Amino acid sequence: MALAALVMGGCVTTTPIYQWGGYESKLYAGYKDQTKMEELRVGLETHIAAMNASGQKVAPGLYAELGTLYLQSGDSVKARGMYSRERDAWPESKGLMGAMIQNLERQESARAETIK
Amino acid sequence: MKNLILLSAVLVLAGCVAQPVKQDMSAFIAAAPRSILVVPTINKSLDVDAPNYVLSTLPVPLAEKGYYVFPVNTTKYVLEQEGMYEADRIHGEPTESMAKLFGADAVLYVTINRWDAQYLLIAASVTVDFDYRLVSKDGTEIWKEHKTMQYSPQNNNNSGSALAALIGAVISAAITRAAPNYLPLTQQANQQVFVLGPNALPDGPYRPKTKQ
Repeated sequence: MALAALVMGGCVTTTPIYQWGGYESKLYAGYKDQTKMEELRVGLETHIAAMNASGQKVAPGLYAELGTLYLQSGDSVKARGMYSRERDAWPESKGLMGAMIQNLERQESARAETIK
Repeated sequence: MKNLILLSAVLVLAGCVAQPVKQDMSAFIAAAPRSILVVPTINKSLDVDAPNYVLSTLPVPLAEKGYYVFPVNTTKYVLEQEGMYEADRIHGEPTESMAKLFGADAVLYVTINRWDAQYLLIAASVTVDFDYRLVSKDGTEIWKEHKTMQYSPQNNNNSGSALAALIGAVISAAITRAAPNYLPLTQQANQQVFVLGPNALPDGPYRPKTKQ
C-alpha cells in the first residue's frame, strides 16, 4: 500500500481536491433517465449542505448545476441564489453567473409588472 | 485487495513510463488557462445517448486537475436557450465567440468516434474512441489527444498482462449482454488523456503544488 502510494506520488498527483457527492454518476443517471434528474437535485442539496456544515469548499460548478435544476423546475429565485453562490465561490464564473442572474432579475420584474 | 493495489501501481507506472510522442506544450503554457468550458460532444457513433453520457464524465477529472470547469449541464442549458442544440453547430462556431459568451479561458471539444459493443458467441467486446481538443479563447489550439479503449473479457482469461487483468477486474462487472456499461471505459480514457498519459494536461491553478 505504502509502495503503491510512493509510486503514485512520484509520478502523478491523484489526491482528490474536492468531494463531489456522486455528481458524476447522478448526472449520468439523469441523462439516462430524465426522471432521475430529481435525484441529482436532492443529491446536490444534501451534498452542498454537508460541505457548508463542515466548512469545506464546494466543488466547481455544483452550485450552478443545482441552480439550473431549480430554474428548469420554474424556481427562478432559488436559481439566482445558487448562481450567486457559484459566482462568489469561483471568480472564473463571474461573467456567466452575473449575466444569468441579471437575466433572471429582469424576467422576474417583467413578470411582477404584468401581475400589477 | 493486495493484488489490486499492486496492479494499480503497475498501471500508474505504465501510464507515465511509456512516452511515445510527447506534444509541445508551449502553446498551452503560454495560454495558461484557469477555466475550461466543456461544450456538448459531437457524436459519430450510432448510439444517440453517447454524447450526454460522455459529457457527464468530463468535469470531475478536469476540475481535479486544478481547473475551473464550467458546469456542463448548465452550459448545455444556456446553449439551448441560445438556440444551439446541435453539437456540430456548436463546434463550428468560432471559439473566440463561444469563450466570450461564457467568459472562459479555453474550450474543450470532444468528438466520439466509436461507442459500440461487438457481440460474439459467448463474449462481448466494447470499444470507445474519442478525440479531445482544447482551444484557447483567442482561437489557438493548445492541446489535443486521441484515445481508444477496448474491453474484451476473453482476452483476460489467460493473459499475462497485468494491465489487461486490472482493466478486466475493473470493468468485468460492467458488461452485460443487455446493456453494456460504457462508463468505466470512458472514465479510463479520460484519466489516461488528462492525467496519466504522456500528453497529460499541466496542473491548473487550483491543484496544490506537490512536494518533491
